[in-house]
Amino acid sequence: MKIKKNLSKLFILLSCILFIVIVPMFFEGYSLMVINLSLIYAIITLGISVMLGMGGQLSFAGLAFMGFGAYFVANFCSGRLGFTIPTLLALVLAPLFCGIVAFLLGLILLKLKGTYFTFATIALVQVCFSFFTNYRPLFGGPDGISEIPSLSVGSFTFSSYNQWFYLSVGILAAVAIVVERIRRTSFGRSLASVRDNDMAALTLGVNVYMSKVKAFALSGVLGALAGAMYAMQGNFVASDLFAYNNATQFIIMAMVGGVNNTFGCIVGSVLITILPEIFRSLERFLQLFYGLAVIVLMVFMPMGMAGVGSQFAKKIKKILGINKLKRSANSTHSEGVSK
Amino acid sequence: MSDILRLEHVNKHFGGLHVSNDLTFSIKTGQVTGLIGPNGAGKTTLMNIISGIYIQDSGQVIFDGKDISQIPPYTRARMGIGRTFQAPRFLQRSNIRDNLLIGSDLSEQKSFTKSFFTRQNMTFEEELNRYMKVAGFDIDLENDITSLTYGQQKLLEIVRSLLSHPRMILVDEPAAGLNNAEIENAMALINIAAKENGIGVLLIEHSMDMIMNICKEIVVINFGKVIATGTPEEISSNEEVITAYLGKDADD
Repeated sequence: MKIKKNLSKLFILLSCILFIVIVPMFFEGYSLMVINLSLIYAIITLGISVMLGMGGQLSFAGLAFMGFGAYFVANFCSGRLGFTIPTLLALVLAPLFCGIVAFLLGLILLKLKGTYFTFATIALVQVCFSFFTNYRPLFGGPDGISEIPSLSVGSFTFSSYNQWFYLSVGILAAVAIVVERIRRTSFGRSLASVRDNDMAALTLGVNVYMSKVKAFALSGVLGALAGAMYAMQGNFVASDLFAYNNATQFIIMAMVGGVNNTFGCIVGSVLITILPEIFRSLERFLQLFYGLAVIVLMVFMPMGMAGVGSQFAKKIKKILGINKLKRSANSTHSEGVSK
Repeated sequence: MSDILRLEHVNKHFGGLHVSNDLTFSIKTGQVTGLIGPNGAGKTTLMNIISGIYIQDSGQVIFDGKDISQIPPYTRARMGIGRTFQAPRFLQRSNIRDNLLIGSDLSEQKSFTKSFFTRQNMTFEEELNRYMKVAGFDIDLENDITSLTYGQQKLLEIVRSLLSHPRMILVDEPAAGLNNAEIENAMALINIAAKENGIGVLLIEHSMDMIMNICKEIVVINFGKVIATGTPEEISSNEEVITAYLGKDADD
């Protein structure tokens, strides 16, 4: 098992390095921007991974939080309010502010359980979308807010797509490491217990409700971070991005990659963002494709690509004979039961 | 020995059904108290009341001198009430190690930041090895929890709750579905809990062998009422208990 873990770590590391080296060599302009976007979306998807993969709670609210983050930056950095704050400060404050908002919203929404909670998050996305579209003083209405400054640290300004690529990779990597680490903390385990067996969780001292609220707040922080980055990279925010349709995309990204797998979520985000750009002419059928994809995923690969990947790795190892698992003396039917 | 838990006039109804009827008894530390009674007598309901899954309609649950009647289950667990379930409840998608760590998380109550920046504690492995030896396990902790047999899962649930350093544990039918060797191991684990760790144990079990073997005191309930309490000898010769288990003639 040790070998397997190290192998997959090596695989992930190598593919990341390959990605960082190859992408700026072959892509530029619009296509590079799309790739940058996919990395920003991956941050939101990781928020969904925390909620859905670790905590078992299906939340669409990531998009609404992205909106909060984006409009936070739009208002405080573009001078619309009569004053501006440094972009770097905004990049820190937006997630913080949104984390608090998400925490407070979570206190209310997570009184609901299961599907009802999911419905409530859909409603949240819709309500926020209406506000973003119709309330001009803060959100600029359907025209959106333009002339948002790009991120600058000291005298250095991230202006080209190339610079944003490296910045996005860096922030995403940091987020991924944090999320991966959280999985191994007592908080991560308490979320897992909420997901798998909330009765056991309660008797093991886990405050089921507060664990969910904290996870929701974390997804708010990640959503706002992505939103702030989005606003600064594109220098523009408009409300049509925050329509409900787009919220489903993040769920699909997580499911394609594997909800409970950090690396899988990132790969899923990149794929789902880039594929529609490649198949531009088929755009009208996109929703149909997504719908079918979800059904196929649920039936054939509930753990997403990460699940398929690890099964594939197991098979290869069986063929090569590396994987001589240490079996317990009396557990004889481990093959039949394991997923 | 002192009382760790005391129930006073606990009542619980499910609709018209009186599942707990004026239950009053106590559990002492450092010994195993058996809770027996026919199916449907309200044993598991009582466990759920003690661990806080259900709140009683009236009466009090007193743990270590404090009234915990209105305290939520997770706080009771943190105060030191551990339990196992009739059908083992684990995190199906986690490996064995994580499933056990969740028990020791409870005993440590490490803050999030501390748990984020530090590795797991070393005493976990030591402690675990001690229990695993008693439980007769030789398993790879990285395996999926689903790779264990039903019996192993039931034993592991007792281990998990012991890792949380409880001050008393509620053990719900540990022997059901276990083979003889595993029953021996379960009894050994329960004995360690009571004798070496000196905590209170409330044991629900249908296997009279096990009950008579390890319980110092037995509480018998039927139709939600305590019908007898006493030592195993007293209970096995108690008329009312025999009637509850064997039934009585129609003309009585």
